[in-house]
Amino acid sequence: MRLAAAAALLALIALPAAAQTTAPRGALPRTSDGKPDLNGVWEVLSTAAWDLQDHPARLGVPAGQGVVEGNEIPYQPWALVKKQENFKNRETADPEANCRLLGVPRMMYTPYPFQIVQSPAYVAIFHEYVHTTRSIFMNSDHPPGDIEWFTGDSRGRWEGDTLVVDVKHFTDQTWLDRAGNFHSEALHLVERFTLITPDHIQYDVTLEDPEVFTRPWKISLILYRRKETNVRVLEYECYAYTHEEQVRRGELGPK
Amino acid sequence: MRKHSFRSSIAPAAAIAVAWLLVSVHVAGQEGGGANRWANPVAGCPPISREFYPCAKAKAQAFNPRRNPDGTPDMNGAWNAGTATGSQNIEDYAGDAFLGPSRSLIVDPANGKVPYLPQWATKKQDNFAHYIDPIGSCYLTGVPRQVFAPRGQAFIQSPGVFAILSEFAHLYRTIPTDNSPHIGDSLRLYMGDSRGRWEGNTLVVDTTNLTDRTWLTISGHFHSDALHVTERFTLIDADTILYETTLVDPKVFTQPWTMAMPLMRMEKGHEVWEEPCFEADRDLPYMLLEHKIWLGLDPPK
Repeated sequence: MRLAAAAALLALIALPAAAQTTAPRGALPRTSDGKPDLNGVWEVLSTAAWDLQDHPARLGVPAGQGVVEGNEIPYQPWALVKKQENFKNRETADPEANCRLLGVPRMMYTPYPFQIVQSPAYVAIFHEYVHTTRSIFMNSDHPPGDIEWFTGDSRGRWEGDTLVVDVKHFTDQTWLDRAGNFHSEALHLVERFTLITPDHIQYDVTLEDPEVFTRPWKISLILYRRKETNVRVLEYECYAYTHEEQVRRGELGPK
Repeated sequence: MRKHSFRSSIAPAAAIAVAWLLVSVHVAGQEGGGANRWANPVAGCPPISREFYPCAKAKAQAFNPRRNPDGTPDMNGAWNAGTATGSQNIEDYAGDAFLGPSRSLIVDPANGKVPYLPQWATKKQDNFAHYIDPIGSCYLTGVPRQVFAPRGQAFIQSPGVFAILSEFAHLYRTIPTDNSPHIGDSLRLYMGDSRGRWEGNTLVVDTTNLTDRTWLTISGHFHSDALHVTERFTLIDADTILYETTLVDPKVFTQPWTMAMPLMRMEKGHEVWEEPCFEADRDLPYMLLEHKIWLGLDPPK
């Protein structure tokens, strides 16, 4: 926890000067309970959805600079082999290719908009991609027991002006990107949402999964506010569109 | 504990039975079964819609709700349309092998029936006989079915926005309450485009941009893409909301018609948790043996 806090601080210091100087701290919008106001529609501007790490361009994939601290994902040897298999089989094996929920943190850097609705007890995140929803229950404990959820169980608290979210109770059925990076159901995340200007959220995540990785590791992204005055999170109902195509081709339905 | 795979254990059976089972599991699991749902008064009013409605209207006049910091009535929390049948039906129905009994939610017209145009008189039966209820295929419920579909729903309020998160299929609605206009008419969404405003203590929600891809009930009640929905949410005591919804669809109905029902606050501390639908679905292949995917009144060619 202390490490994550230090990392977030370092990330802040390391930000480009432009991002730091656009809004003095006092100018951040705040909710009626005095917290930074995260309400609104947000989206990443990043190639992390294709690959969390540095990657060259290939057909249909823009080149990108990685978002992993040190650019290394510390896989256990077996897991690195598995990741490479995933990459080879990604066209069919990627949960995104099958319209499944993408999980956390992958949802956050998938290139569809999402809306944050913030109240003191409950922060909800509503994504356009297959109507993924995430409930962040504030100042409460994870429910006990053997629970596996695609989006995990999110519990939030404010540390100063940073929303810190602890997420566990995952399935092993989600990936971390389109390059086959993955985790097990033992995944545990600590996410940190810090409003650094009225229109930018510094989003830092520590990923811990002793079944797959040799140590905790971190990713860091910026979430950008969608500023269009008429911006609206719409729908991408992936599997419904797939069914529609299959019906049209006569592949789905009574013979 | 609820696991993600709870839908996968249903054995192959007659497709229609499976389709019903899927939803009846939800309904029975959380909302109590049979006629018990109509046994007790709600907020001191009779529970059946046609009697509940005038009683609740009178109570709404007299009730001064707790308020959010921005002055709007505080409806934050988890709610359940406890006198509905998880959208099995919305008219009076005695029940059969597949569908449970129901009491009409319709308060106008007075006969408690959906006022279909003559050319659609048998379409509901045809839908039920030949198509999979769209929520059986895990499609979004549409509006207003979202409010009385199976399971509970959380309301989350923040200045300028009213959000609803349904447990069923993790679907949601974000309803701007900032006087912003609807999206362009050619954009069509399963959940439509909802815009809200406060009229006194009542949240009034106007929903347009809907499709004909959604139904109103498991029993096959339907609408076209001309559907225009108005909803009104009013607290009548600390734990009860009067929910009213008026449907206008000149392609399908002879007149605007209105349902009314109580939304009851769920037990203290109830959290709306993840309930995957498509993600954990193993049943569609069995339903498809005898029933078709519903792609609307005017399916794409």
